[in-house]
Amino acid sequence: MKRRILQIGAVLTVALVCASFTLLQTKPWVVPEKAAKTSNAVKTSAASVSEGKALWSQHCSSCHGKTGLGDGSKAAQLKTTPPDFTKASFQSQSDGSLFYKVSEGRDDMPNFKKKLPEADDIWNLVNFMRTLKK
Amino acid sequence: MKRVKCQLPTVRIILTVLLFLCFSMDTSLLKAQDSTATAPVEKKKLYTKNTFNGNLLIDNQSVMVPIKGTFEFYIQHRFGVISNGFTDFFGIYSGANMRLSASYVPIKNLQIGFGSTNDRMQVDGNIKYALLRQTKDWKMPVSVTFYGNAAMDTRAKNSSLPIVTTSDRFSYFSQLIVASKVCDYFSIQVAPSISYYNNVPAYTDDKGLIQPTLKNQHVALSVAGKLKLSEGMSLLLNYDQPLTQHPMNNPHPNLSAALDMNTSGHDFQITFGNYGYLLQQDNNILNQNDFTQSQYCIGFNISRLWNF
Repeated sequence: MKRRILQIGAVLTVALVCASFTLLQTKPWVVPEKAAKTSNAVKTSAASVSEGKALWSQHCSSCHGKTGLGDGSKAAQLKTTPPDFTKASFQSQSDGSLFYKVSEGRDDMPNFKKKLPEADDIWNLVNFMRTLKK
Repeated sequence: MKRVKCQLPTVRIILTVLLFLCFSMDTSLLKAQDSTATAPVEKKKLYTKNTFNGNLLIDNQSVMVPIKGTFEFYIQHRFGVISNGFTDFFGIYSGANMRLSASYVPIKNLQIGFGSTNDRMQVDGNIKYALLRQTKDWKMPVSVTFYGNAAMDTRAKNSSLPIVTTSDRFSYFSQLIVASKVCDYFSIQVAPSISYYNNVPAYTDDKGLIQPTLKNQHVALSVAGKLKLSEGMSLLLNYDQPLTQHPMNNPHPNLSAALDMNTSGHDFQITFGNYGYLLQQDNNILNQNDFTQSQYCIGFNISRLWNF
């Protein structure tokens, strides 16, 4: 009987671990096609990147980290691990997709359409995010 | 031939105003009737951002009015003077003036607020309006904001208080704030102000006449600057000069500095200065802390903001 309880316990533990890994996997963030195809309204320039950097430091770096590695001081408290912005998997997204995600937010990621009501500000942020690529 | 004379001064004034309006009329209205004129390309007006990081600039208001829909909650403390040293741990354990307040921006460029402080149990209503905003192309080199408040002493009436009528409880403050972001690392602000107390302290002289120790009205000038140390941290410096001479108890100037740290939803300032009150009119008229005597107070301003 004792052996049977141990066996059931082991199976349940394995199942729980597997389930937690599944939950930890990042769920896909679908961006509407129209939003994804929207072209960047602010041309990349030193001024735009500088403004984007200032906004990044104020609004984003506490979770996403100073260099976009997802290692900000608040990152450990989040339910969703912030992705690494330096990787090609992140940088392959269109400017429009990044704009949409910043603007609309999801789960832990707050929406910034009220805090940054001017579209140019979010485009400046997108331009700065491009500089994080390694 | 008889000349028609414009004898009435009112008519002259009206004619002068009309002529002025004609000459000062926007020329684009005239161009609109000219079909051959090419339509000018309208350039988007870009306004300077983050002249200061938040609403508060140590003991004063900054030129900033947050974006529409911003709700902000503030906690402010000013501890006692540091000159007692370790006796009261540089004033931190000698008691503090505290203020809790909130503000909201219901329409673009207009902020309304409400606050309360433990000093004389005062409550205040305040209003802030951005009259002009600095543009990035420097066609408008400054931002101009008006700030005003009305405060009420809400303590219960008793014989030891100089409160006879309800109006004795009120004081007011108005300030015109002019600021410019000179470069990404430096901003400057100049702000003349008028404070007004309905009731001021008084004494009875040898002849039995009541003599006020202070004038009801007080004019002052504040000069402040922000030096950006990093993206999230700035050094704030401020100087307040009283301009009105009072019969007695002239207020001392204020020299202050603060370290300002801000994030997406917070603004935090650790302050060090002579002012120990938390309402501008109290600081401007009643300040007796003298920087030549090292009478400085440590304090902090914390704000949390939400966007609705």
